[in-house]
Amino acid sequence: MADNILLGQYINSGSMVHRLDPRTKLLSVLTFTLCCLILKTYGGYVAATFLVGGQLLLSGVPAHMFFRGLKPIVLILSFTFVYHLLFTKGAPLWPGSIVKVSQEGIENGVFVVWRVLLLVSLASVLTLTTKPLDLAKGLEQLFKPLSSWGVPVEAFALMLVIAIRFIPTITLELDRIILAQKARGFDIMAAKGHKRAFAYFSLVIPLLITTIQRAEQLSMTIDTRAYGNGKGRTSYRVLKFSRMDYAAGGVMLSFVLLILYL
Amino acid sequence: MLVFDQVDYYYRRGHPVLRQISFEIHQGEFISIIGGNGSGKSTLAKLMNGLLQPREGQIKLDYLNTLNYDDLGKIRELVGLVFQNPEDQFITTSVLDEVVFGLENLRVPRDEMAHRVNEALKAVHMEDYAEAMPHQLSGGQKQRVAIAAVLAMRPSILIFDEATSMLDPQGRSDILDVMHTLHRQGMTIIHITHHMEEILSADRVLLLSKGEFAFDGTPSVLFSSVSMTEHRLALPFAARLHQALGLDTPLSADWKETITTLWPMS
Amino acid sequence: MAYELNDVSVRINDEEILQSVSCTLQEGKWISIIGQTGAGKSTFAKVMKGLIPFYSGEYTHNRQPLPRDCKGNIKVVPQIGYVFQFPEHQIFETTVYNELAFAPKMKGESPEKLEEAIQMVMGQMGLSEELLQEKPFQLSGGLKRLVAIASVLIAEPELLILDEPTAGLDPISRTALLKQLKAWQGEKNRTVLFISHQLEDVAEYSDEVMIFKRGRLLVHLDANELFLKRMELMEQAGLLLPEPIQLLKMIEALSGRILEPASCREEDIMQQVRLTWQSRGLQNGG
Repeated sequence: MADNILLGQYINSGSMVHRLDPRTKLLSVLTFTLCCLILKTYGGYVAATFLVGGQLLLSGVPAHMFFRGLKPIVLILSFTFVYHLLFTKGAPLWPGSIVKVSQEGIENGVFVVWRVLLLVSLASVLTLTTKPLDLAKGLEQLFKPLSSWGVPVEAFALMLVIAIRFIPTITLELDRIILAQKARGFDIMAAKGHKRAFAYFSLVIPLLITTIQRAEQLSMTIDTRAYGNGKGRTSYRVLKFSRMDYAAGGVMLSFVLLILYL
Repeated sequence: MLVFDQVDYYYRRGHPVLRQISFEIHQGEFISIIGGNGSGKSTLAKLMNGLLQPREGQIKLDYLNTLNYDDLGKIRELVGLVFQNPEDQFITTSVLDEVVFGLENLRVPRDEMAHRVNEALKAVHMEDYAEAMPHQLSGGQKQRVAIAAVLAMRPSILIFDEATSMLDPQGRSDILDVMHTLHRQGMTIIHITHHMEEILSADRVLLLSKGEFAFDGTPSVLFSSVSMTEHRLALPFAARLHQALGLDTPLSADWKETITTLWPMS
Repeated sequence: MAYELNDVSVRINDEEILQSVSCTLQEGKWISIIGQTGAGKSTFAKVMKGLIPFYSGEYTHNRQPLPRDCKGNIKVVPQIGYVFQFPEHQIFETTVYNELAFAPKMKGESPEKLEEAIQMVMGQMGLSEELLQEKPFQLSGGLKRLVAIASVLIAEPELLILDEPTAGLDPISRTALLKQLKAWQGEKNRTVLFISHQLEDVAEYSDEVMIFKRGRLLVHLDANELFLKRMELMEQAGLLLPEPIQLLKMIEALSGRILEPASCREEDIMQQVRLTWQSRGLQNGG
């Protein structure tokens, strides 16, 4: 189970995409997302696909790692597709059949799935090529202006780092608990009816308790390392836009404009 | 000098964990704190760097007092604490970031950081792992990173709260080596442990029993004068051997040396 | 009565983490499993319990192959009990009674049988009956551990796997726990698989020892044989000798005599050492 979680699974291939400033990548993803929402034509979709595909190639991330990350959303995507297929208004293609499928329905379904795939792919490129910590740093910098409004930006950034750091740990913990309870004779998959509900308790409660204990321990560690209220900390990792960032940003922007034009 | 002055502590009123604890720890001492499960050892450690505040009495580090909120930052800088579980004290996602974290908190200027990080990682022999992520490290290695993260903050006192208890023998002996090296360099070491073998080389042992000190002195006096079972302890092998052979020489951690030196005599 | 593995290998992500292990676990033995971290100790134990599939080899119980699921993997073996590291982390019921009763209830045991089983297991683990209505989360670390282990023992396993059962306990709780378990094993003539890094405990309690090294079973032999005659095997596996054995070797070297303790247990070794120590003056003089 832990293997399927791509979040926080940074893969270092040292590509150009890896070396970009996280803020450049974040802003690009944001612009692209906005642009995707207003995509309408085939031409636009094809161009956007080229853009995302190009970035995937540039990132040098092995294809199987990328596809492994897509696996969990296959179910959601198929559901979305069927939903649009069936519930989009339009002239039915086969008037005689019970299931009314229209030309518009197919188009709609394809576009929605395509769009989600594009967005998820680009987001994956972001998380696969950016260390979680850099990502948090990028977000922190982008949202910095908000801290003068009293928003605890530093604290949120730290929370984000910890969440990223502990997702794999907690997933492993869950695997361990499942195994241990299975050894005690409570097999979730085999249990039926109310026994199954009981069996879930046997996983959730230990997981909750260990997670709370972890959180407690972690907060003590943070205090021990003199975090205080997080204000006025110096910073080791300094983000700096390089020429490459300006170039990449420019390319991204022109592509987006092109997509919108199509 | 770290001073406990008549400290009381409880988590729930009416259930005291520590009672009227008073003692002093001097710079450069190697102190072991022992006691059964639930005797208040960990609570004592958390009081030392102000993670917990005493309900009664006070804890002072030179001119600093853990009751003063403004002193806490400085106290945490001077009193480092390493916990039991290697996994749950790795906050960030790489060894380098982990060590840098404390330095950023102390507002260390950026150009000074690289040097301090390097120094701290070298002290625990982890300099080749700066870019490693937590899941690539063994328990013992993670624990050494935790030590480096605290060392980089340049503390004068280092507390190990059962820091060896979840490690395999290799990891354990690595941590003990680091502890002793730091002690030789002048660091005050406070080592909380269940392993009786580990306390033999301490300068001083504090035995906690039901929230009070039952003993304060050298390890050899402890093993010859205090009832082990009453305080949920056991004699380490060196002491068992000492008793079995009826030796009257002072108890030493290195029983092999004792045996070789005593053998030719009759 | 025996569990037998024949040439079993386990592969995870194309890595062979257990390589052609063959062994026979006889009834009524305390068998310790030792080896460096990552040598395959826990993997082996999980294979025995049927928690990890193996891709080649055979697993039999009393010469009968064990039942397999639809994918062809061995099913979880119900007659084997498994105590994981820090078993108290798996506790989830609100009272000690419910925690103990959970496994028998899942199995559909009758209320009378359940009562009886609870009484018995509490007695075996030296737990007082007042504890039954306590909340397990509020117990001390040592007691919590005992309750968690009791919840495995209540199923009366033929073979009990213990993965570092004493980690984090104080010396008294540690010895107490091991003594209870040893007594349980002896009285019922059950088999125990004991995974441990504490080699002193291994020498003290084991009948047999299995040493793992890099996914292979290096050797499986009698504990006395290993610690008194074939100590070089420990070094081969990258393990230190238990302190009493180190002492024995040292005294043998100093006295130039071969000592013959009754077993590798500390008490027996100390006795021999004491005798030799007392006679050393005479020896040197004459």
